[in-house]
Formats: sequence, C-alpha cells, structure tokens
Amino acid sequence: METVKIKKITALWIVVVLLLFVVSIILGILMRLNQGEIIHHSPVTFYGNMTTHGLTMIGIWFVAGMAGVNYLMQRYVTVSLWPNMTGLIFTAIGVILLWVSTFIGDFHAGWTFLYPLPFKVMWASWATPMFLCSLTVMGVGWLIWSLGMVMQLLKRYSISQVFAWQHFGKNPKVETPPFVLISMITLVGVIASLLAAVVLLILYFMEFFSNSSFVNDALLMKNLTYFFGHTIANEMLYLGLAVLYELFSEVSGRPKWKTTWYIAVSWNLSLVFILTAFFHHLYMDFVQPEGLQIVGQLASYLASLPAAGVTVFSVIIAVYRTKIKWSLTNLLFFIGVAGWVVGGLGALIDATISNNFVLHNTLWVPAHFHTYNVMGNVLFSLAFFHWFAMQFANNNITERFAKTKLGLLILGGAGFLAVFYLGGAESIPRRYSNYPAEFPSAQVLAYVGAIFATVYLIAILFFFLNISKRCVKIMFSSSS
Amino acid sequence: MCKDYVFIFLIALVFSTVNVTAQVTQNGWKEERQVYQKVFDAKLDIDEQRSATILQLAQTKPLIIAMVFTRCTGVCSPFLLQFKENLQMIEKKNFNVVVISFDTRDSLKDMAMLAQIFDLKTNPQWTFAVTDAIDSLSSSIGFDPVWDEKRQQFEHDAIAVGVNTEGIITKKLIGMRNSKDLELLIKSIEGAFSPSYRLPGKSNLFSCFNYNPQTGRNMPGLGLLFIAIPAVVTFLLVVVINLLTKNYRA
Amino acid sequence: MQTSILILFLILTGLALLVFVYVFMTSKGAKSSGGGIRNALKKRLWFILILFVLLGFTAWVTISKSPYYLFADEAPSQVIHVASMQFAFVLSNNSIDPDSPKGVSSIELPKNELIEFRVTSLDVNHGFAIYDASNRLIAQTQAMPGYVNRLRWKFTEPGIYHILCLEYCGMAHHGMRASITIK
Ligand code: HEM
Ligand SMILES: [Cu+2]
Repeated sequence: METVKIKKITALWIVVVLLLFVVSIILGILMRLNQGEIIHHSPVTFYGNMTTHGLTMIGIWFVAGMAGVNYLMQRYVTVSLWPNMTGLIFTAIGVILLWVSTFIGDFHAGWTFLYPLPFKVMWASWATPMFLCSLTVMGVGWLIWSLGMVMQLLKRYSISQVFAWQHFGKNPKVETPPFVLISMITLVGVIASLLAAVVLLILYFMEFFSNSSFVNDALLMKNLTYFFGHTIANEMLYLGLAVLYELFSEVSGRPKWKTTWYIAVSWNLSLVFILTAFFHHLYMDFVQPEGLQIVGQLASYLASLPAAGVTVFSVIIAVYRTKIKWSLTNLLFFIGVAGWVVGGLGALIDATISNNFVLHNTLWVPAHFHTYNVMGNVLFSLAFFHWFAMQFANNNITERFAKTKLGLLILGGAGFLAVFYLGGAESIPRRYSNYPAEFPSAQVLAYVGAIFATVYLIAILFFFLNISKRCVKIMFSSSS
Repeated sequence: MCKDYVFIFLIALVFSTVNVTAQVTQNGWKEERQVYQKVFDAKLDIDEQRSATILQLAQTKPLIIAMVFTRCTGVCSPFLLQFKENLQMIEKKNFNVVVISFDTRDSLKDMAMLAQIFDLKTNPQWTFAVTDAIDSLSSSIGFDPVWDEKRQQFEHDAIAVGVNTEGIITKKLIGMRNSKDLELLIKSIEGAFSPSYRLPGKSNLFSCFNYNPQTGRNMPGLGLLFIAIPAVVTFLLVVVINLLTKNYRA
Repeated sequence: MQTSILILFLILTGLALLVFVYVFMTSKGAKSSGGGIRNALKKRLWFILILFVLLGFTAWVTISKSPYYLFADEAPSQVIHVASMQFAFVLSNNSIDPDSPKGVSSIELPKNELIEFRVTSLDVNHGFAIYDASNRLIAQTQAMPGYVNRLRWKFTEPGIYHILCLEYCGMAHHGMRASITIK
C-alpha cells in the first residue's frame, strides 16, 4: 500500500515542481526583459519577482531532490509516507504564503532577506511577518521530512554503516550502497542548514515581537543567513547526485556502482567542507574574522576535490570507451554533470578572495549559480522525472524528440548563461532592476539573455507536457 | 508615471529612515572623530618635580590616554579597574598609559591617591597627571564632559585614546570595552592595520550613570558561537534518532 | 583583472567540455565488449593529487592578495568616512553623525595618495563599490550597520570614479550612487 502511495505522491511532486518551474522561469524572463528595457516594471515589481523567483526556485529544486531520494530510498529501507506528506503539505502552505507576501504584499527583500532589510518596511506591513512565516512553515516541514528520512535510514543501518565508515578499512563485511551514504551525508547537511534557518528566524521573531527593544547583530545574522541559504542551495545539488549514483549505471545497462574506500572518505569529507564553505559569502565583510575568510576559501576549494576526483571522475570512466545504452535519462545526467563542472569552475574563481574583490555581487554570481542549477541540478532532477514517468509507461514508447529537446535545452541554457558571465566580466551589478548608463552593454545582454531563456523555456515545456501527462496518469491510476 | 511616483516615495523614505532607529548610538560615531588628527600637545604635571608634554611622552613610546576625575562616583573607577585588568592580559607592552584628570579641582595629590588605590603608583607603564590645558586637550580628542550641578558630578564617557609616536590619534574607545577592542587600539598605535572594527552598540555603552556590570560587557566573538549551534544540534539529533531506532536494527 | 578572469574561465570551460564531448564520442564508438579505462584507481588518485597541488598553489598565491592586506603597512594620507543609507552615500572628511548625517555625494581626492575609506551603514547592509573611469569594478567592501569596514586604495589615474551600491538594499538599490573625482 505504502509503495503505491509513495509512487503517487512522487508523481504529484513532479507535476507541482514542473508547474512552479515554468512559472518561475517566466518570472526570470520578465526580469531579464525589464533589465533589457523591453518591458517596464516598477522596481517594486521587479524586486518582488526576484524574491519570488529566487525562493521558489530554491524551494522546488530542493523538494525535487528530496522527492527523488525519498522514492529511490525504498530500494534499501522501509519508507513511510508521513514525512513525505508533511513535506508536501508544508511546502504547499509555505509557497502560498510566500506568493501572497510578494505578489499581494509587495514584499521584496530578496530571497536572502538580509537582516535588517525585512524590517525596513517598504511594502505592506503584514508582508514581513508573512514572509518569515512562509519560511518557517517550509523550514519546519522540510526539517520533519529530512529527520523522518534519517530515521528510516537509521532503522536499517547503524551510524557507522550509514556513513560507510567500515569502508575506511580493508575488506568491509557489510557494504553500504553509495545511495545510502550520499543520502545520509546530504540529509545531515540539509538538517544543519535548516536549523541555521531556525536560529535565524527565532532571532528575527525576537526582534519583531520586542518592538525593536532587542536588536540583532548584523554580522551574526548574515552568517546565519548564508549558513542556511548557501548550504541548502548546495545540498540540493547533492540530492540530485544521490539519484545519479543510483540510476546512472542502471539505465546505462552497466553494473551498479559500489562504495569503495575513496567514495566513503570523500563523501564524509564533503560534509565538513560544505558546512564551512558558506563563509565565502562574507568575503567583502572585512569585519568577519580573517581566519573564517581563509577557511571559506580553503573549504570552497577543498569541496571541489571529492566532487571532481570522485563523482565526476566516476561518471567519466563509466562512459569512456564503454558501450552504453544511451537514453534521455542518462544523457540528461551526463550533460548535467558537465554543466555542474562548468558552474563549479565559475564558482571556484569567485571563491578566491582576491577575485571576489571585483566579482562579488556582479552578474558573475548569478552566472555561476545558474550554471549548476539550470544546466546541472535541473537536469539531474529532469532525468529522474523522465525515468520515473517512463518506468510506468508501456516500455516500447520511443523517446520522441529527444534530440530536439536536448538541443533546445543546451542552446537556451548556454546562451542565457553566457550573457550572465559576460555581464560579470563587464562588472555589471547583480540585482539591478534597471541598469545605469555606465553599462551600455547591460541592456543588450539582458535582452539576449531573455531570448535564450525563452528557448530554454520551450524545451522545459516539452518536458513538462510529456512527463506530467504520465505523472497525472500515475496519480489517478487505481492499481499499482 | 510609475517612476515619478516611486521617486517621490523614495525621497520621503530617505528622510524618514534617517531618523529611524540607527543601530549605532551616538557614541559609536564619536569614536570616529578626530582620528588621524594631532592631539593637543598639553603640558602635563606628573609630580611635584616632573612635567612633560604629551608629545614628549609619546616620542619614547606610543600612548594610551585615559580621562578620569577622582571624585567620580560612576564609571571612572570600574573603567580604570577593567582597563588595568585587560592590560594585564595583553602581552605586548610597548606603550605607556597616561591617566589625566579633567576636573580642575583635582590636585597632583588626588591623582597620586588614585594611583595608590589601583596599585599603579610604582608601575612604570602608568602615569597619572593633571594639566592646565584641559579644555584644549579635551576638545582635541573629542571629549566633552558635562557638569551636573545637582549631582555635583560630571556626566561623561569612559574614554581611551591611542596616540602614536608622532602625536597622531590612531583610534579611540568610548565606554567600557573588552580586551579585544583594547588590542585593536594597541595595534593601531603601533601602526598595524586591521581592516575593520565594531562600533559599540546600544547594549555596551557606559556613561557614569548607567553603569551596569551585569549586562555591560561587550563580547564580540560570542555571537559567532551561534553559528556553531546548527551543526551541534544536528549532531545531537542524529545521536538521538540513532538511540530511538536502536530496536529496529537487528 | 576581469578580462583575465573571463579568459581563464573560458579556457577551463573549453577544456572541461572537450573532455566531456570526447568521452561521449568514445562511448558512441565503443564495441559491445567495452574497453573502459585501465588502472582506474591509480589514475584517479593521480588526478586528485594534481588537483590538490594546483588548488593548494592557487590558494597560497592568492590569499596574500586578499583585500584585507591591501596597503596594510602604509599610513593613509586621508580618511574618508562613508555612511551609506537607503538610498544614498554620504562622504565626509569628518566622522558622520547618524542623527544628522552631513557630507556630500561627490568628492575630490588627490592622485597617488593612500586613501582610507571607513565605510558603515546607517540602516541596512549596502555595498561600497568603486568603479574606475571606464566603469570597471576595482575595489569594494560591504557597509554593515554597527560595523566599520576600512578599505584602503590608491588612485593612480585621474578621472571620475563612480561609487555604486553592491548589496541589495531595497527598491532604489540600483539608483544609489556617489562619485569621486581624482585630480
Ligand atoms: C531559464 C531559467 C531561469 C531564468 C530566466 C532566470 C532568471 C533570473 C534572473 C534574471 C535573476 C536576477 C539576476 C540579477 O540579480 O540581476 C535570477 C536570480 C535568481 N535565480 Fe534564476 N533564472 C532561471 C533559473 C533558475 C533556477 C533553475 C534556479 C534554481 C535554483 C534559479 C535561482 C535563482 C536565484 C536563487 C536567484 C537570486 C534571487 C535573488 O537575488 O534574490 N534560477 N534568475
Ligand atoms: Cu544600498
């Protein structure tokens, strides 16, 4: 019974995510068009859209990763429905609160809502508490969901097994599947980031209810904000990787990946690096203790080692001169890994303090993080969605238009990202609703970005129609 | 159309926000004044025989100047005490401290008494002094005590001013401050550059009449402990879940 | 600076994509038995080691170039106090009183002298970013309420430098600006 329900809820997640994705892309295109002076929104509308776009995107790709991991986890442990269901309900309420606060209440402090901006009310006065509540609801829901999943894993594996510590030695007696290891590592990171959000929100509410007699420390709040924001955005990518580890070899018709000592070591290390890399968001706050700045750069560098040396390398050797059953699923994974690498290169460059001095908060920042989302994580999740939808369709359906879809996706994505990078190199600031006259190329770049983003959107619409048609069928089918 | 509307709104906003809660109270900004200006070269009387100007003193070693008056019932003595304690924790001692009275009633004897009370009389690093040019000195370091007739007391800040060997003010500390801030002050008189510093907020400002040793101390760095909370709690949660699920694992 | 960063990025990206395309092609052309890679573990470890050394070297070279150490052992000839607020910068030679911030939004500064900017904020977080005469970002620091960030800079070229806000601070964020004229 439970498996059927989980199948249905996964199908529902997929439809919801794709639907919200389309809406958020449209908001993104509207922003680009406004920056290109093709349309003219008031700054309030622009920054409101920016806030909605940012938080919705983070939210949906996080839950997409969670839903995928939760679904596949059934292969290893007994999975119950309630954590997943809680996640769904809380996410739905959270998104509604968020959209009301931004679309109706005009809240526009950005998705990072950097303290004390939410308290300098430039919108309906109820919009700030509503936005904070929206985050609280989503945060609590996701926390319950992640804790529930950790519980399911620990019901089957002991602590040392779930972290694959027995693989550090020679000839381990039990094998921890890579999927289990990565899920656990990632969930721990997710929980830490959500707890950072909890601390942050408590401090916000304390100030809110004290009528400003209690005032927070801006530096502490910024640290907490990025502990939460950076870490969750990073971990959602690792959720996608867990799915990749599980499915890539399977759909390629190759033997399943096994946990080895270096996989175990590298993933355990990544946990440490991921939790300290967020300091790179505060490089330009010279008030931050210098030691933490350097930790930020080193952790950001080190985080790339296990990623490149283990995950990317594994994908490469799994493909190199190896006969593979290429399908849309593993093509999406493969291209996604390439996109992830490119975004990672952009990130490494920006994570170097002396470069950050001239890149921080220019378009270079959205350039690199959009790269490993738009061409990385989204593709990982799309691969899962596609695999999931195909699995329950009759198998002899050919993957029609696969080449066209991928072509549009790559073309649109690459063009959209390229102009961001160019903008960054031109020192154009990020988060500007309109560009000042000093940057004559900015408008053109924005316009070009909008056009390519539209191409990307068309590809996504293809995927959306194709996948959600099947998912809706799964949701309403009576039998398994 | 829309843009004009927004523009007017913005202008209104700029004016309104300037008056709204500035998180840094007045004193934080006072600290910024006079920095990199020359201190007034007042002639100081140190004891019956000796006198020297501030520049003369500074030439041998950079100075930290502290301003007090001996009849203070408020911040002066806790300030001096804490200052002394903090200095004891600091290893590098290549500077001198000059405690100057800003109360013209104070005599050299009064100051000697003060030094005695704090057990600093024989400490070569410390000098207690009075001066005839207190007004010029005070204004050159931006120190403005106000006489309160009713209470027969000065209303004033606790202040420590760093002066380098050229007589230039490199940094000021207003209010009771911890040893970390003091270290910044010392670094500044030694000519070292620290890329940033904290302005004292509402909670850590002291004047003579709101001294509260319980809530008073400014502890930067403590906030940074907050950053560790999420990681620690996550760890604990995993341990707890592990205990809860123990029975399921065969 | 930015141009070399972009070129570096393009080269690295080009190389990475070449590898991916090449690997994909080898798979397409592979025979059914499958060749694969030999001695994969050894190659992997070498790859990680090389990467580690490269990154370590980069960190070693770049960290000392961080802005925190810029002109640290020189004495500035002038201090400019900067108070940022929604949505303006106030610059002044004297320290700025938050209750009645007095100052200007454009100043003149001498060439080839070390200037220290003491940057803070009266309300929310802002960014203090200096753009040179050809609108290239040359230096920046954040303006955080309750804190002062010191940015030291020596202007070597005469011209008009713009200051823009590089931390989102509300709906007129993009209109927040000041300027410096270097004589
Ligand atoms: C083709 C699809 C997309 C388009 C057209 C788009 C467009 C944009 C634009 C124009 C901005 C504002 C850039 C600026 O600062 O000037 C932005 C910001 C952002 N986007 Fe996207 N985006 C897309 C996909 C995504 C995806 C997949 C994610 C997934 C996480 C994402 C997350 C964000 C975030 C977090 C921000 C920052 C918001 C903020 O600054 O508060 N976007 N996007
Ligand atoms: Cu601003």
